[in-house]
Amino acid sequence: MSGFRTMALVAGREIVERLRSRPMWIMTILTAVLLAALIIVPPLVMQRTGPVAVALVGAEAQALEPELSRGAAAARVNLRLVHLAGDAEARVAVSAGTVAAAVELTGDAASITVKRSVAPAVQGLVQAVASQAHERQVLAAAGVPEAVTRSALAPVAVTVRSLQPVPRTNTARVIAALVAGYLLVYSILAYSASVAIGVAQEKTSRTAEVLLATVRPSQLMAGKVLGIGAAGLGQMAIAVAAGLLANTLVKGVEIPGTVARVLPSILIWFVLGYALYAAASAAAGALVSRSEEVGSATAPLQVVLIAALGLVYAVTFRPDTWWTVLLSLLPPFTPVLMPARMAIGLVPWWQVGVGVLVMVAAIILVVRVAARIYASSLVQGGGRISWGAAFLRRRGA
Amino acid sequence: MPSAGLEITGLTHSFGATRAVDDLDLMVGAGEIVGLVGRNGAGKTTTMRAVMGILRPDDGQIRWRQRRVTDPDRLRFGYMPEERGLYLQMGVLEQVAYFGRLHGMDRSWALRAARDLLRRLGLEGREGDKLVALSHGNQQRVQLAVALVHQPELLVLDEAFAGLDPSAVDTLSAVLRDEARRPSAVFFSSHQLEIVERLCDRVVILERGRVLASGTLAELQARTPRRLRVKVGGGARWIPTAAGVSVVEEDARGAVLALDAGVDAQVVLREALTAGPVETFAIEEGTLADVYRGLVSP
Repeated sequence: MSGFRTMALVAGREIVERLRSRPMWIMTILTAVLLAALIIVPPLVMQRTGPVAVALVGAEAQALEPELSRGAAAARVNLRLVHLAGDAEARVAVSAGTVAAAVELTGDAASITVKRSVAPAVQGLVQAVASQAHERQVLAAAGVPEAVTRSALAPVAVTVRSLQPVPRTNTARVIAALVAGYLLVYSILAYSASVAIGVAQEKTSRTAEVLLATVRPSQLMAGKVLGIGAAGLGQMAIAVAAGLLANTLVKGVEIPGTVARVLPSILIWFVLGYALYAAASAAAGALVSRSEEVGSATAPLQVVLIAALGLVYAVTFRPDTWWTVLLSLLPPFTPVLMPARMAIGLVPWWQVGVGVLVMVAAIILVVRVAARIYASSLVQGGGRISWGAAFLRRRGA
Repeated sequence: MPSAGLEITGLTHSFGATRAVDDLDLMVGAGEIVGLVGRNGAGKTTTMRAVMGILRPDDGQIRWRQRRVTDPDRLRFGYMPEERGLYLQMGVLEQVAYFGRLHGMDRSWALRAARDLLRRLGLEGREGDKLVALSHGNQQRVQLAVALVHQPELLVLDEAFAGLDPSAVDTLSAVLRDEARRPSAVFFSSHQLEIVERLCDRVVILERGRVLASGTLAELQARTPRRLRVKVGGGARWIPTAAGVSVVEEDARGAVLALDAGVDAQVVLREALTAGPVETFAIEEGTLADVYRGLVSP
């Protein structure tokens, strides 16, 4: 019988076991719902911050409307301008909150009435436009021709040239990065723990010895890792599909294309991250002498993954410093930090490529070491085996 | 000697400083049932694990049908380890068929064979149950089914009868006889010497990783002192004085005497007759247990 068929049989058993498990389905549905909620809710919250209503009180202020509209568009300030007749009416509107600010112009003074404070951008805009109107009036009174005034007051176009790319860290991108990080850490943790528990159960129930009379340790380990991984990938695919559906539903509100790009790439990073951690977990599971020891045997792996999650926060704020780039290329962190950086943007393709290559190399190395530990420890009696002793020992010695 | 099946030569294996098996030679012919006996730690499990490829021995050769045993050969072996273990949450039929498929059977063949075997082992009607729902005895039967489902050419059973009730012992004995008739080779270890004696064509006694003695029961019996049961009537207690004769035990049925090699039983009879009327004079066949106790120091 071919090794591939044996592996497929072992993997098939693992998949069937998981498909029959009720907790597995509950977790799948919960993950999908949670991911969809994380995509739908923030834009709905952000939607509340619509245009700022500003009242222009009196004819003098209302005359500024064209300049204010132009200025607002140039400064990317979302303004809605309304006209009000007098000061009393303005006070009522500001108090009621129907307008955020009321602008009045009297001679060479301008006033802005607000409830408590107004956005600095709005204040700055009103200030600039009012000053310009005032200057135009003074110059006209001094007999300066209109054409000269216009040319003198025409805004100078200033182009900003950044020497380094500017991260466009808007809220949606940060959320996408955090969602990717959480989803990856959670699923890699859950499924590699599943591998460790499965291996420990086979060892402690002595099923391993019956299996090893027929199946090579490498086939058994590979089949287990692949089977549980396939079930995990299926769960992730359902969650990602729910996320993409949610993304389509809220489209047109304020959603970036980032989510649509990052979500499918999560599946690839899951496969790479899971392969690395599941192989190590299989070895950890084979070291225990009792099922209760699985937690402490896999603790080092869990600590690294949780640390990766902590680093996701650092990466979202400083996505392109030399140390975040370096961390995202270190295999234990790559499957979590690289997609987080990709969500923020600004990852050159060569870095993604190097990340994938480094992961593949790390997986090959870890699988080899783990297979050796697994084979030498699986039918070993006695107490818990240390990593070092398991690595150095021959099978059955 | 039956045709060559399993041949073990020079098998040696140590666990750290402890030598578990030491230059062991052993053979199980096709159609033969060979019993492996010995105290705990004598090397039985290590030998069986080496045959099944579960551990790689330090030295020695294991051959199957005159060729070095390979992984594909082992797919045609059936194994029941000393410490039983199966998936507790898996259905009985599904589980037996799964192991059949691991041995190379296709799905429908494995299911058919599993169903037949479970019926033979008295587990009809329990096919759909999870293993955990079965009694300990029935779990043992499922374990045996897992070892047998693919109709193995060599059956290796470690502590085959441990924990079985008398009816399960009978079932397993019948199954082993059937297997040997097919003709598969059967190689099992047991501490239950009376079962080994009843079932086996040959017995191998292990002590400290070495073969202490091996052969048919008759051959082994020949290696131990002959025993005579003698009862002299007339009320007098008779104690033999001839050289090379010792009393093993004495009860109401008379005395059991052990005779060293070369001692003539007729000399003992003549001496007994001088003491009184001889009511009983019989050669006692030693059981395997007697042979074992005679060979293995306590």
